[in-house]
Amino acid sequence: MKNERKRTFLLITIPILALFICFNTIPLIRGVIYSFTNFKGFGNYDWVGFRNYIDLFSDARVGKSYLFTFKLAIVSTILVNVVALLLALALNSKIRAKSFFRGAYFLPNILGALVVGYIFNYFFTYILPAVASMIGIKSLSSSILSNPDSAWIGIVIVCAWQAIAMNTIIYISGLQTVPEDVYEAGGLDGATGWKQFRHLTFPLIIPFFSINMVLCVKNFLMVFDQIMALTKGGPAQSTESISYLIYNNGMSGGQFGFQSANAVVFFIVIVCVSVAQMKFSGKKEEQL
Amino acid sequence: MKGKRMKYLGLALCCMTAALAMQGCGNSADQKVEIEIVQYKPEAAIYFETVEEEFNATHDDIQLKISSPNDAMTILRTRFIREDYPDIIGIGGDINYSYFVDAGILADVSEYKGLQTINPGYLDIAEALELVPTDGSYIVPYVANAAGVLYNRDLFAEHGWQIPETWQEMVTLCEEIKGEGILPFYFGFKDTWTCLAPWNAMAVELSPSDTTKQVNRGETSFTKEYKELSEKYLQLLPYGPDDPFAYGYNDACTAFARGEAAMYPIGSYATPQILSVNPDLNIDSFVMPASDDKDGRTLNSGIDLGFCVTADCKNKEAAYEVLDFLLADENLQKYIDAQNAVPCKTGDFKLSSMLDGMLSFIEAGNMTDYQDHYYPSEMAVDAQLQTFLLQKDVNAFLSKFDTDWQRYNRDIIRMVQEYEKEHGNEKE
Amino acid sequence: MIKKKVNWPAMILLILGLSTIVFPLYMTLIIAFKQPSEMTNSISGILSLPKVWSFDNFREAMRVTDFWNSLRNSLVITLVTVGLSLALHSLMGYALGRNKAGSKFYSFVYLFIVSGMFVPFAILMMPLAKQTAELGLANWFGVIILYVVFYMPMNILLYSGYLVNIPMALEEAAKVDGASTWTTYWKIIFPIMKPMHATVAVLTALAVWNDVMTPLVILAGSDQNTLPLAQLNFQTQFGTNYNLAFASYLLSLIPILIFYVICQKQILNGVVNGAVK
Repeated sequence: MKNERKRTFLLITIPILALFICFNTIPLIRGVIYSFTNFKGFGNYDWVGFRNYIDLFSDARVGKSYLFTFKLAIVSTILVNVVALLLALALNSKIRAKSFFRGAYFLPNILGALVVGYIFNYFFTYILPAVASMIGIKSLSSSILSNPDSAWIGIVIVCAWQAIAMNTIIYISGLQTVPEDVYEAGGLDGATGWKQFRHLTFPLIIPFFSINMVLCVKNFLMVFDQIMALTKGGPAQSTESISYLIYNNGMSGGQFGFQSANAVVFFIVIVCVSVAQMKFSGKKEEQL
Repeated sequence: MKGKRMKYLGLALCCMTAALAMQGCGNSADQKVEIEIVQYKPEAAIYFETVEEEFNATHDDIQLKISSPNDAMTILRTRFIREDYPDIIGIGGDINYSYFVDAGILADVSEYKGLQTINPGYLDIAEALELVPTDGSYIVPYVANAAGVLYNRDLFAEHGWQIPETWQEMVTLCEEIKGEGILPFYFGFKDTWTCLAPWNAMAVELSPSDTTKQVNRGETSFTKEYKELSEKYLQLLPYGPDDPFAYGYNDACTAFARGEAAMYPIGSYATPQILSVNPDLNIDSFVMPASDDKDGRTLNSGIDLGFCVTADCKNKEAAYEVLDFLLADENLQKYIDAQNAVPCKTGDFKLSSMLDGMLSFIEAGNMTDYQDHYYPSEMAVDAQLQTFLLQKDVNAFLSKFDTDWQRYNRDIIRMVQEYEKEHGNEKE
Repeated sequence: MIKKKVNWPAMILLILGLSTIVFPLYMTLIIAFKQPSEMTNSISGILSLPKVWSFDNFREAMRVTDFWNSLRNSLVITLVTVGLSLALHSLMGYALGRNKAGSKFYSFVYLFIVSGMFVPFAILMMPLAKQTAELGLANWFGVIILYVVFYMPMNILLYSGYLVNIPMALEEAAKVDGASTWTTYWKIIFPIMKPMHATVAVLTALAVWNDVMTPLVILAGSDQNTLPLAQLNFQTQFGTNYNLAFASYLLSLIPILIFYVICQKQILNGVVNGAVK
């Protein structure tokens, strides 16, 4: 009986794992090989050993992009998770027109990057400054996207606006696993509101919290679309994310080899971050 | 049981894969020679569709297929890595062309007779783009674009403003326009690439056309060659909108179309976008003066679209026949009409009225290529320019330019220096 | 179940939050109906209603993108990917989720696959373009295989996370009845994961529906277009027709919105199933 279970699991795992290795791991290894060359993306190339990796650590532009990306990711992750959780609770509570609200809040996620870019550019360039000067806020009277110190805030807003939908969906499906009777039992003990959430609901949706954290890290550390739509790395190269550099200089530019090295290092960094995160929330799960 | 199921699933997958693979290499029994063109200007797609139709209607032996995809560079690179080369590629004369020549992707077309009809100015520009001089020619220049200053003709006529011919006149004109409460320039510096337009337009007059090559040979530095250019660029800023970094290319086009500014320093390629907003706008252009030497002016013009035959092309004769067709006067004229382009071919062509102010330069063959056609895109000179315009620090900008140049062009510089060692300076 | 009162504070919050969505949507709508000559930089100009309400932009957008063909390609790719994802990823999520705690091998495979999520696509692009061509997969079938692989990490993360809350007791009860693991999975576990299936379906479908890069790289040079690929036609470096583009984006938004609404119903139905346990 035990063996049967084991065999079944192996028979499931191995073919799917093989597929994954074939179309993810093998191309990745090929990519890693390019990171030791000065390949431009076409034509012939030379082996350069670790030159790309050494360059990487002395490249101020790459360093700056790491700082920017992490700043963006941390702020957006917190913002998105707080709002998404609130939204999920609200959408899951007893409200009128539930389907309508759920549909409406999903919309930001499906508007294409061109549309989002145009509308938010317009909003930040014309509408927000006009409104701000009308009510007399000096600091907002010029576009926040044109100032190297504040452009990242604009990107956080758009990233959050788009990402909240997805995180909310995951929280909502998490809330479905919380049985009604938990609340009923809690209600008898007098746990309501924040207390109910803190002690009854939240512990039960921790797995979804950690999923959302990992997905946030993935989406925000690898942010690309929103940058292309809003600032294209500007002003004054203040919003160049790591993925932006990898794509723009590696794919469109002639730095394929160098940016492959960047991608390899970035991959390792991001895996470390998320493994640490999963370990952390895994411990939390055990505690509760 | 589930083991079997898995096996069947695997088998089915394999079969499907195999079937699809087979499908890939069927049909080619046709006797016709197929010529495939991939060209990188999607805005000209309609023109190329008509060309394709007309060509196929008149040629029985050759089947022409032209695609004008968006993001053609990614598509081309993808196909190159698959070793699936189109017969002809239509690209611009920029650093990508230089790389493609260097990579041996393109075939030598110096035997092609059509080359003799091309304006020698553009052939020289093409030659200069080669990283190290070669014996062959690798591109047939088709059309060029020109960058300078677009101006609102009606506004100029109304106020009696004259086209400036020297830097001093330019500054005086700007003051005059500003004095009348009109914005002299509109800038869309939020889109970094637009920062390059005034830069290129002034650079052709203020710096040697082969500045980058001189630097590669170690003969000079950008700090030296670009100093005046950078300082003059800064002087233009007060004549633009308050916060030019808030507006993108599209905003600038719309603003200029709505008459919010008298001039817009950008290339002729912007006119369709401007006219889409305001079809009645009367636009003309002039060559940007950058020094006080009236005769030192030269038109900033480069190869916007040229055709290269790939080294992989099986039937060069057929490819040349296609090129002949494309270069036929009536077809080229159609392209010029549709895109406000400048022909690279010599002959009697009717140019758009928006190029009136540049006509004398074009006819005299007085043109110089864009400096940015030599900049590697990954160095992001456009973004560096934007930073410079924000921070207004000439020295910091130029010294970064110099150090970054060495870094991003390391392999090219080594190649150039090796070439110099081998060949000496015989070409100079 | 006790009938609860309508949660008004939540309602009010939701209505307030809605303005952040209604406003951009309003802009999208009016721009989609306007002509390029109505575009301006002034606020009152951009927020005003179009002079004439005509569907010309939509008709033209459909012509430019070869709408029905592109739509069909997009639909086929999306639906097949979602179907395969639900079957394969849930199975894999089950196998890994149930075993990763007790087995070094499975926990390694789990981390190995999940970390695949963080591989920047740019580094895979060129090797994949080459590899798919070598395998004869430079077609929509290849695109689907790649999607199944790309979204595997995220979906496995989701499925195995969901399994944490499904008690082992359910399976053990079935085992006592003599059912094999395979049957237990399809009869008991698979149906119980319905809310997660709906979530996975939505997320996968959305990602596939909007993706440009994979079809661009894999289908490069073929004549098959997906909707997002066709929509690239509105955008060139020197000019973008926002009016047509917006009309086209609105059109392509409808199918995925319908799909989402259907899936949301499934997530809600899941509550009932979940309550049974």
